[in-house]
Amino acid sequence: MPSSETERRATLPVEVPLHARPAGDFVRAAAQFPAEISVAANGKRANAKSILEILALGALGGTELVIAASGDRAAEAAEHLAGLVPDLG
Amino acid sequence: MDPESRNGFVGLVLVSHSAAIADGLAELVAQVAGPSVPIVAAGGGPDGTFGTDGGRVLVALQEAAGSGGAVVLMDLGSSVLSVRAALDELPAETVARLRIADAPLVEGAIAAGVTASTGGSVDEVLAAAQEARTVAKF
Repeated sequence: MPSSETERRATLPVEVPLHARPAGDFVRAAAQFPAEISVAANGKRANAKSILEILALGALGGTELVIAASGDRAAEAAEHLAGLVPDLG
Repeated sequence: MDPESRNGFVGLVLVSHSAAIADGLAELVAQVAGPSVPIVAAGGGPDGTFGTDGGRVLVALQEAAGSGGAVVLMDLGSSVLSVRAALDELPAETVARLRIADAPLVEGAIAAGVTASTGGSVDEVLAAAQEARTVAKF
């Protein structure tokens, strides 16, 4: 199957930094998809399925995240995760 | 713990010289990983002092090795020794469902707990725990 790459941008709520609990929710959502998914912020890139990498982004509330997915169901994964970010809390 | 309530999620066993560390970490991991991951804390010595309690570690491993298996995380020193000693006491089929993580306790437990909460296998949960050895904190 040819791999497709999809990129979506989403902004964290102003009052919600990507700290442990919301990062856990994000990783659980990402893990439902077989695609390779990355999240970039602050000039760093993290594996969306690794909470330790996500936490190391140090993304504060209001930060724009760039979600890139490739492989199986990539577009669906990027869309779903981008939709989730503004609702994290 | 009722084996039927575990739903096959991989569990965690947290072994520390301090009951407060093990219990507090269990609470923290439950907050981040959610309620589906079974977590057994085995911290402190037999008389409530700092140390490890081989008997309690043995019971914790037996309890946690249920349907989905479990990953064991330890702080250091005699925690590691008591887990090794307990493994020697357990039947091979129980040991086969357990994985011992060589990882920092707090970071490893958070990573393992979140991966367990996604339905990851015992080997995937082990890998997540051990990733804590190399992922930078910031």
